[in-house]
Amino acid sequence: MAENPGMQGREAGDDEAFAERVAAPLRAAERAHPSFEKRVMDRVRMEGPTLYPIPGSSPTSWWWTKRVFETSPMKALAVAAAVTAIVGLSGIALGTRIGDGTRDVARAPATTAAPDTIQLVRFVFVDARASSVELVGDFNEWTKGTTSLRLSGAPGVWAASVPLTPGRHEYAFIVNGTRWVADPLAVKSSDDFGTESSVIRVAQPGRSET
Amino acid sequence: MTGFSDGELVALVLNGNVDSFAGLVRRHQDACARFAVRMLGSRVDADDVLQSAFMRAFRGLRGCKDPDHFGGWLYQIVVNECRTYASRQRKREQRFPSSAAAIESAVAPGSEPELDPDVGGHIERALGTLPTDQREAFLLKHVEELTYEEISEMTGVSVSALKMRVKRACDALRGQLEGVYNG
Repeated sequence: MAENPGMQGREAGDDEAFAERVAAPLRAAERAHPSFEKRVMDRVRMEGPTLYPIPGSSPTSWWWTKRVFETSPMKALAVAAAVTAIVGLSGIALGTRIGDGTRDVARAPATTAAPDTIQLVRFVFVDARASSVELVGDFNEWTKGTTSLRLSGAPGVWAASVPLTPGRHEYAFIVNGTRWVADPLAVKSSDDFGTESSVIRVAQPGRSET
Repeated sequence: MTGFSDGELVALVLNGNVDSFAGLVRRHQDACARFAVRMLGSRVDADDVLQSAFMRAFRGLRGCKDPDHFGGWLYQIVVNECRTYASRQRKREQRFPSSAAAIESAVAPGSEPELDPDVGGHIERALGTLPTDQREAFLLKHVEELTYEEISEMTGVSVSALKMRVKRACDALRGQLEGVYNG
């Protein structure tokens, strides 16, 4: 309505015409603030994985529901399989592979496995301040509460042995029920949100993994 | 995201691809902004309400029974949010009229709707004096150009009641705007 409307609706005796005159300038386009989408999406991304987990993931695990892993180089797999890592100020994580009985990590990196062999991998995590430590990974569908580490005797040393099939696996520790900790010395993998996990590869039968 | 229909984007979100919600935000934010700004008379308030409405829509996405008409469903949420906000604002102003006036006067220039000052400003002010239900009905009918049946479905108010609200809104606007232009 570029011209002065005059507001002569009463004279025209036409409510519709009057309403149209009033409404016309109000139909001018409005634009949401340029930052609006970002602000909404920041909140969406924060709440989204809990509300709408990727099918097949556990609805109780908020940190991995949007897990799109990128591949990581498989260097230092022996270390990844067995290594000790300092976690935060006091935590140390160990992934130790055990084939036929317990082996020394250093002597048994990237071991081969018989075709149908399930290997036991011993995961050790050291944190003197931890009150609980759990292991989550693709092998337990990243389900919290499935695999708990137990104090193994030495103060603050938590351990669990997990049967794994040959191939690449990703895992992380959950300390005190809430703190997500990747093994700092293992190969890392990150999802879209920058959440880091660790990578372990159980050797394919007949060849070593590197 | 532009190649996806609303229904497809909703399905993507429900299946864990929450980033797809950005496509829905982008597609509908401006249309919702117009109603919210006109309804509340303030872009600042409208921004708050829109953010709340979009988050409500996101959280309640499973309740969107017809994802291909996500826009209509979202619009309904925006209308409800605006109504709630306006109601709270009215109560607040009734309790603290001086504070409300101070806040109103403190709003930075340019943060408010920028209609033609000779026309739009008067209309905006007149619109702002209407009771919330009349303002809402007038905007939905004459600015958003919905049918009475669509508005009724959206608001749960009968068509006859809506017509009455629009009529009263027009009468009130006419009285105020005639005074401005002819007085």
